Amino acid sequence: MGVLLLLAFWLSLALGPVSLPLGDTLLAALRLMGLPIDGEGLQQAELILGQIRLPRSLLGLCVGIVLALSGVAMQGLFRNPLADPGLVGVAGGAALGAAIAIVGGSMIGGLPPALAPYLLSICAFSGGLIVTAVVYRFGRRDGQTNVATMLLAGVALTAMSGAGVGLFTYLADDATLRSLTFWNLGSLNGASYPRLWPLLLVTLGVAIWLPRRASALNALLLGESEARHLGFNVERIKLELVLCTALGVGAAVAAAGLIGFIGLVVPHLMRLLVGPDHRVLLPASLLAGASLLLLADLVARLVLAPAELPIGIVTALIGAPFFLYLLVRGRA
Amino acid sequence: MRLSKYLLLCGSLLFSHAAAAADLPQRWVSSGGSLSEWVVRLGGEGKLVGVDTTSLHPQTLRQLPSIGYQRALSAEGVLSLRPDILIGSEEMGPPPVIAQIKAAGIRIETLSAKPDLETLERNVLRLGELLGAPERAREEMAAYRQRLQRQADWVARVREKQQAPRVLMLLGHAGSNVMAAGKDSLAVWLIEHAGGESRTEHSGYKPISNEALLAMDPQVVIFADRSLHGEEARKALLQQNPVLQQTSAARDGRLLTLDPTLLVGGLGPRLPEGLAELSAAFYPSEQALTAKLDR
Repeated sequence: MGVLLLLAFWLSLALGPVSLPLGDTLLAALRLMGLPIDGEGLQQAELILGQIRLPRSLLGLCVGIVLALSGVAMQGLFRNPLADPGLVGVAGGAALGAAIAIVGGSMIGGLPPALAPYLLSICAFSGGLIVTAVVYRFGRRDGQTNVATMLLAGVALTAMSGAGVGLFTYLADDATLRSLTFWNLGSLNGASYPRLWPLLLVTLGVAIWLPRRASALNALLLGESEARHLGFNVERIKLELVLCTALGVGAAVAAAGLIGFIGLVVPHLMRLLVGPDHRVLLPASLLAGASLLLLADLVARLVLAPAELPIGIVTALIGAPFFLYLLVRGRA
Repeated sequence: MRLSKYLLLCGSLLFSHAAAAADLPQRWVSSGGSLSEWVVRLGGEGKLVGVDTTSLHPQTLRQLPSIGYQRALSAEGVLSLRPDILIGSEEMGPPPVIAQIKAAGIRIETLSAKPDLETLERNVLRLGELLGAPERAREEMAAYRQRLQRQADWVARVREKQQAPRVLMLLGHAGSNVMAAGKDSLAVWLIEHAGGESRTEHSGYKPISNEALLAMDPQVVIFADRSLHGEEARKALLQQNPVLQQTSAARDGRLLTLDPTLLVGGLGPRLPEGLAELSAAFYPSEQALTAKLDR
């Protein structure tokens, strides 16, 4: 798995619409690390590598990790293989936040261009967080969190967010409509360091913290009361899992738009390969999620070059048939 | 002494002129339908190495590598075409990508897509300079202004004698869900400058209900759709949409089609022809400026 990720990361740095000779890529990488190597065309290679491909690959890495881990967390929490990070309303809420930022921004006469991308991220992030908080609140009763209620509340609130997005779609003019559509399909395009750092921190947090809850997730698989009898504070775990997902997915969506199917398919795939033990499943999903997203992004930017495909299309195109295959196989 | 100074000045002037010519960008990427059209009109088609998805006219532009939609450009994609310059409207983006392209040393020229003549004149003259054809740009622009002026005069003259027809422009005629052009859209700008009257209240392009369509009872309906050519296609359309059939426009057979690429990205070079054709169709009894609209 680790090897696959390294390979994917390297490919993602080495390949792109601008074809750089392998040697140049290596030298440019060394230059980026501060070695004083001079050569013809290296400046250009360094720029493409350092300012375009590296931030983009790091972004892909983070988004893939967070989405896959949240997927595992959600499937563990709901004890339902169909669960994905969108289920608690993060994705719907984030989409609503983004719609408010894109359409609302253009209706008040355009935001200062320097501010606009950050505002979009902030709105998407807080939208996801707020909706998730509401969903969680609905699930609470008498100091207990009812997972089934939460699931249904998530469905309802996602539908409501969808209606909100629809309303803004109706209000939008042509240009903002296109922006909204593209945002909904997700893209790692235009990654830059200032926008990368918040996500990097969140990813680091989630990636360190979730695997430490692996045994609790294993206990949850047996059922809530069983987990309680095994000595886990179930209510706390649930809150932690929801919070983790909301923060992680919120940050990922804010940085790259809606990217589907990674959170759903990767945990499944890994469960087939390494089994249901979360102590192995979590790290495996982390690696696989990142690899898959990086490879999907590679497809997204190469297949139509010099234009590029929104990555959400690629992940869904790979993910959906695979999911169907899993369903059919499970029945047989 | 004086003479040598003069010679020196002459020399340096000459040199700077030659240097400027050599400095002109040779490989162009254009993002924005009407900008690409203007580049072609000013003789720069050979310099274009890539265009965005809104650059659909003339047809030959579709052969060029596509850099995608103007608001979702990819930095590496644009760089892979090794352009000297990237031109586009303020809609070009996203901003981080533009910053990356700029950082790679590509010249970026932002030319506003605001639909007014002053902006257009500035854009065209700037393009002329960058293409090394300032004379041609000035001539084209003067002719353009003149034609629009003649158009305005013609409309003013006709309006003294006749009432303006109620005109509705529809986009996307599939099924019953049609979009009508409203205020602040280039479509309504066209209708009004061609001497028609638009009765829509909304702004931009919005779906319109059949009842509203009936209440408006347009005397002329324009379909911004190129696929609707010929009598057959129009008959089929009316059959699909019986409400449309009840309008005055359908009864009098005044259903027109318009090339939708005219509506994308600000004032393009084909606008005067488009206006004149619409005018001729709005006022069939008048001696037209040009008359070759398919109707």
